[in-house]
Amino acid sequence: MFGGDEEYDEEEEEITQEDAWAVISAYFEEKGLVRQQLDSFDEFIQNTMQEIVDESSDIEIRPESQHNPGRNAEIGDVTYKINFGQIYLSKPMMTEADGETATLWPKAARLRNLTYSAPLYVDVTKFVTRKTEDGEEETEQEDLSKVYIGKVPIMLRSRYCTLFENSDKDLTELGECPYDQGGYFIINGSEKVLIAQEKMSTNHVYVFKKRQPNKYCYVAEVRSMAESQNRPPSGMFVRMLSRAGAKGGSSGQYIRATLPYIRTEIPIIVVFRALGFVADKDILEHICYDFSDTAMMELLRPSLEEAFVIQNQQVALDYIGKRGSTVGVTREKRIKYAKEILQKEMLPHVGVGEFCETKKAYFFGYIIHRLLLCAIGGAEDDRDHYGNKRLDLAGPLLGGLFRMLFRKLTKDVRGYLQKCVDNGKEINLAYAVKAKTITSGLKYSLATGNWGQANTAGVRAGVSQVLNRLTYASTLSHLRRLNSPIGREGKLAKPRQLHNSHWGMMCPAETPEGQACGLVKNLALMAYITVGSAANPILEFLEEWSTENFEEISPAVIPNSTKIFVNGLWVGIHRNPELLVRTLRQLRRQVDVNTEVGVVRDIRLKELRLYTDYGRCSRPLFIVEKQRLLIKKQDVRALQMKETSENGWYDLVSKGFIEYVDTEEEETTMISMTIADLVNARNNPDEAYSDTYTHCEIHPSMILGVCGSIIPFPDHNQSPRNTYQSAMGKQAMGIYVTNYQLRMDTLAYVLYYPQKPLVTTRAMEHLHFRQLPAGINAIVAIACYSGYNQEDSVIMNQSSIDRGFFRSIFYRSYRDEEKKQGTLIKEEFERPNRENTTGMRHGSYDKLDDDGLAPPGTRVSGEDVIIGKTTPLPQDDNASQAQRYTKRDQSTCLRHSESGMIDQVLLTTNADGLRFVKIRVRSIRIPQIGDKFSSRHGQKGTVGMTYTQEDMPWTQEGITPDIIVNPHAIPSRMTIGQLIECIMGKVAAHMGKEGDATPFTDVTVDNISKALHKCGYQMRGFEVMYNGHTGRRLTAHIFLGPTYYQRLKHMVDDKIHSRGRGPVQILTRQPAEGRSRDGGLRFGEMERDCMIAHGAAHFLKERLFDQSDAYRVHVCEHCGLIAIANLKKNTYECRGCKNNTDIVQVHIPYACKLLFQELMSMAIAPRMFTKELKMRSEHAKKAAA
Amino acid sequence: MDNVSYQRFPTVRIRDMKDDVLKFELRDTDASIANALRRIMIAEVPTLAIDLVEIETNSSVLNDEFLAHRLGLIPIISDRAMEMRLSRDCDACDGDGRCEYCSIEFHLSVKCTGDQTLDVTSFDLQSSDPTVVPVDCAGRAADLGGFDSSEQRGILIVKLRKGQELKLRAIARKGIGKDHAKWSPAATVTFQYEPDIHINEALMETLSLEEKQEWVESSPTKVFELDPATQQVVVVDPEAYTYDEEVLKKAEAMGKPGLVEIYSKEDSFIFTVESTGAVKASQMFLNAIEILKSKLDAVRLSFDTEEADDQFGELGAHMRGGGI
Repeated sequence: MFGGDEEYDEEEEEITQEDAWAVISAYFEEKGLVRQQLDSFDEFIQNTMQEIVDESSDIEIRPESQHNPGRNAEIGDVTYKINFGQIYLSKPMMTEADGETATLWPKAARLRNLTYSAPLYVDVTKFVTRKTEDGEEETEQEDLSKVYIGKVPIMLRSRYCTLFENSDKDLTELGECPYDQGGYFIINGSEKVLIAQEKMSTNHVYVFKKRQPNKYCYVAEVRSMAESQNRPPSGMFVRMLSRAGAKGGSSGQYIRATLPYIRTEIPIIVVFRALGFVADKDILEHICYDFSDTAMMELLRPSLEEAFVIQNQQVALDYIGKRGSTVGVTREKRIKYAKEILQKEMLPHVGVGEFCETKKAYFFGYIIHRLLLCAIGGAEDDRDHYGNKRLDLAGPLLGGLFRMLFRKLTKDVRGYLQKCVDNGKEINLAYAVKAKTITSGLKYSLATGNWGQANTAGVRAGVSQVLNRLTYASTLSHLRRLNSPIGREGKLAKPRQLHNSHWGMMCPAETPEGQACGLVKNLALMAYITVGSAANPILEFLEEWSTENFEEISPAVIPNSTKIFVNGLWVGIHRNPELLVRTLRQLRRQVDVNTEVGVVRDIRLKELRLYTDYGRCSRPLFIVEKQRLLIKKQDVRALQMKETSENGWYDLVSKGFIEYVDTEEEETTMISMTIADLVNARNNPDEAYSDTYTHCEIHPSMILGVCGSIIPFPDHNQSPRNTYQSAMGKQAMGIYVTNYQLRMDTLAYVLYYPQKPLVTTRAMEHLHFRQLPAGINAIVAIACYSGYNQEDSVIMNQSSIDRGFFRSIFYRSYRDEEKKQGTLIKEEFERPNRENTTGMRHGSYDKLDDDGLAPPGTRVSGEDVIIGKTTPLPQDDNASQAQRYTKRDQSTCLRHSESGMIDQVLLTTNADGLRFVKIRVRSIRIPQIGDKFSSRHGQKGTVGMTYTQEDMPWTQEGITPDIIVNPHAIPSRMTIGQLIECIMGKVAAHMGKEGDATPFTDVTVDNISKALHKCGYQMRGFEVMYNGHTGRRLTAHIFLGPTYYQRLKHMVDDKIHSRGRGPVQILTRQPAEGRSRDGGLRFGEMERDCMIAHGAAHFLKERLFDQSDAYRVHVCEHCGLIAIANLKKNTYECRGCKNNTDIVQVHIPYACKLLFQELMSMAIAPRMFTKELKMRSEHAKKAAA
Repeated sequence: MDNVSYQRFPTVRIRDMKDDVLKFELRDTDASIANALRRIMIAEVPTLAIDLVEIETNSSVLNDEFLAHRLGLIPIISDRAMEMRLSRDCDACDGDGRCEYCSIEFHLSVKCTGDQTLDVTSFDLQSSDPTVVPVDCAGRAADLGGFDSSEQRGILIVKLRKGQELKLRAIARKGIGKDHAKWSPAATVTFQYEPDIHINEALMETLSLEEKQEWVESSPTKVFELDPATQQVVVVDPEAYTYDEEVLKKAEAMGKPGLVEIYSKEDSFIFTVESTGAVKASQMFLNAIEILKSKLDAVRLSFDTEEADDQFGELGAHMRGGGI
């Protein structure tokens, strides 16, 4: 064929899908798995914080004359001005109670319940301006450098963390896990993650059709928010009314706008006139640009007619002003008010200064233009498109909080100084700055998760969560989680559904089930969240490349050119967008423009939208030009060789082989799924899907998140199964960090003999699943055997269990401190003495050492006391003889249902210098009937029976399975992935290799089967087995092979519960609730219904009355109220009725008695009349007689 | 009752006998007997294993329970196990472990002083009885010329870093696999029914050479072979047949059902016994027969007491049903 040779040479240069993994490795090597958190936090520390300080205006104080008798105010004209300048952040530090300050290491922070935070200092300048006698101004300047203004919690492994860029060896020596990725904070010793919060993007025009019947038929909305403005976005709505039908009979389709603080809707033309555009032509030019567009012009006609009466700016402003919140003021005031609203409140992102009217008018016109386009028949916007969403990560979240707290700090400073000045005192800045504002403000939000100031409206709960440390994968997944703060009750399905634009950004499998389904999401492995960059370089670039702004153009040229938006703001137009876009992209690929800038060219709308804001989701893609990848084999080779240090991921980006594409830009690209697709498209252009590929996926399996990447062959499973496994993978036991021995987590599970899976995915390498695994390669048979594995239970091999199969260690830590009450009373760790201590527990105190703590190696169980502590009782001085008890017991007991060994005792001091103890108890958990296990395919089951080796079925080779699952678990659930994993595991075990189960590769069952056949096994994994009890051959062939199984944290020993008698609630005297309180088992409504249906009335009464809160009261037969009864003296009395003879005893539930008494307290008399009953029974007797 | 005797005289032919592997044929008997022997070998032949550990010092990374579990699983030469007493039946001692009838004492005391990590292995266990020591698999393999004996390593218990120390006293006791798998002397015990393979030569000849080849290869194990000289399909190793029925299905798929007929002989078994090393495989089998006999004696004894059971009336039969 023509040019065949040439083709061949080029082919050699092309990289393969395998080479893509080298690129992926480079990505993870450089970025790790929690980059979004770290980048976002670094941005906050390095830029945002300083910006916030800079944007705060100077504090100016003028003394105000105070009524000060005795002292004559000789305050001259003195002005004080305080300015905050450069900020400085030190490394995390800790000041001990004795005043010693030292660097704080994360390990110490975790163990001693400290906060890992660094002190923040700021340069403050004080200007004192005095007016001298002769009226001249004289300014004194005083610089205070590095004033301490508070402590900022530091994210671990961020640039300001002490662990930043430490080697693995150093980390180990510091007691850290080298696999730990950081990305969280340590607040009071507990690890806190900031969950990314999803929100709608601001400054973006959305047009929606309204479902009829509705007052409106189309709505355009913008949530406008100026950059670096800390107020809620100001909303602007432009609505087109539905055709009015009956009323008035006019054409009806008016368009009206909602302005902030204005009560009613304002006709759009009035808004234009108020902005100073009076002539109809001027207005129409701003809306529909092209007068030949008759359809659009026609739609505007009713609006023009509606506003016909208002024909100049003053009248229009007055019209708006009248509808504002001010009532009964003069016309001038109203007009001024309306002007203010238009300038400051309407579309603040366009500008809040003066002379923004033109810009505002253009933007307002554009909103209407978009509305009309939709009305003419254009498409409405997609609210759920991910391009319209922004994510608030740690940086912006902390930024908002810091801005608020810094404002509060400056306000407090101002208040304090004002007071000083007014009282004529010398002002001392060191006293004025209250460092506690920022320190405790940040700490409060991070510790509780309530974002925003305490006790104020508009707080978001659950933003900060305790980092999940159950297993390594759950930790990673938690650090990549995000939340949509939409009401969980809302039954609207749309925001919960998987959207096309989630591809490559959000994991399609990993989401919780139930209320938060689809609202809580997890990032895909290669998703990158932009941290934001300044828009200025872009604006300058546009200026340079002949973008025309509004002052320069007449509206008439708009229809023939492309509108340019930067971060949603319309900045101008351009006549050659093609070239502009090409250069912009080129510059971005050369890293001359920030790589995270989004360039979206919308050809249909004739728009070019550029984005530099933070919180956009983007992901890297190979760049394709002329159906060919720009990256070549030699580049990958250089990457693999690592000849120079610069050969890394960043290099690939800066050389222009790879670029980040955000969700909105993605809509303007053509992405080939695999490299092979590109080759095909080149070789057979006729059969190709596209001849204009612009990008290529790095690997399609990168669409999955952390938990989804652990599933082998997820592309062979029914999709909900992958979701179930994603949830279960987080409950699996394994090794959650390598330094678990050095940690004192309240709960921890560690597997005795974890194994790396025989069947792996490529992504697991980067999740360190091989180094920190969470499961065992069990030999699993899918069979019916003895019937003890029905309904999702499994049979487990007892001999395997004896040999250590799925044994695990369970740690629980208890914590206590010697609290101080006042200055004198202090609690003390000691062995409480029955002689002088009251309130002693009924558990055993024998396990305590002299220091009041149980020593390591002690076997403890039940309610044994493990930390002995007492508080001194206040001494009554007037009591003649010494009190018997001088102390009260405050000891901590082991949970009553647990037992174990004391593993470790840590005695130290906390931040306040108080003695502080943590005790870790360890217990060994051996699998037993009732414990929960699962494969990696959402197939969970509990152990229904354990059989020893001789009772298990065996193959001719003598292999007995570790686990037997029931075949009925398979067909309806369609977890084919598990079956493939099993046969691939069998092959892998035989060949001594790892099986590759990465999704979207060309591994086929037939290939695996052939390999298995070659290993000398039945190709589909079936084996002939013999019954262990009888020795007979089983008729069915059994599917047998190694499958990776996980032990889940739910174990019977933590759940088993029964009770005969026990504790009751104080208030109602009904049995307590819950296992931990040794509570009763509820006989609920449905059980009650059941008993009624059976007619088992006595049983029912026994359950609900005798076994619950039986009680008896004495009732006066005259008044029906509770009477006084003294059972000892056998006297009964109703004082109100002066009756002490006609009193009856009534059995009622205590809760009923309680209700009656509560009613009485509300002056309602519940009376119990028993006479009628008595009479009726007498009647019955008579009748019978 | 017609006095027909079902008595048979099983025969055993040993095929291969090494210390840890035994292969033999068991003929003229039933699956029940074969399976009984298998089960006894796995679960009821007694061995010695560490059952009680007193830890004096443990600064290693593994906790006490973990170490005790690992120690328990170390196989110990258990030639004495048959004549020893179970510690729960031993009246000569108070259970402190210093009793010649029921327990053997081990000591372990290791401390790592060097910079290298130190492996604590089964060699570090000091036994009070020179005949009862941990199994030395590597050593035995080396004797047979398997491994290089310079790389001799015992069974790893734990690794120690500088400054870590481990000091303990362990008691090995007699027990059976039924109670805990650590007392099981068997790695695997399996048997198979001897297959009986008949090729329908006439039908086979209707196949082409390629078809024959294909058919031969359809079996995952090498049971048949195509003789290169005669181009005939021959059975090379009937015992490799696992009853997977692949060849039968293949024949059916080729449209030649009945190409081969395979039966299993219900009265002859081929056993493979692998030992953990605690007891020699051959001894294990002998012990198993011994135990089976004593079990049968127990059954016979319960027949003798039949009259005594009569006093229980109807219940007697129930009580006898209990077996041993």
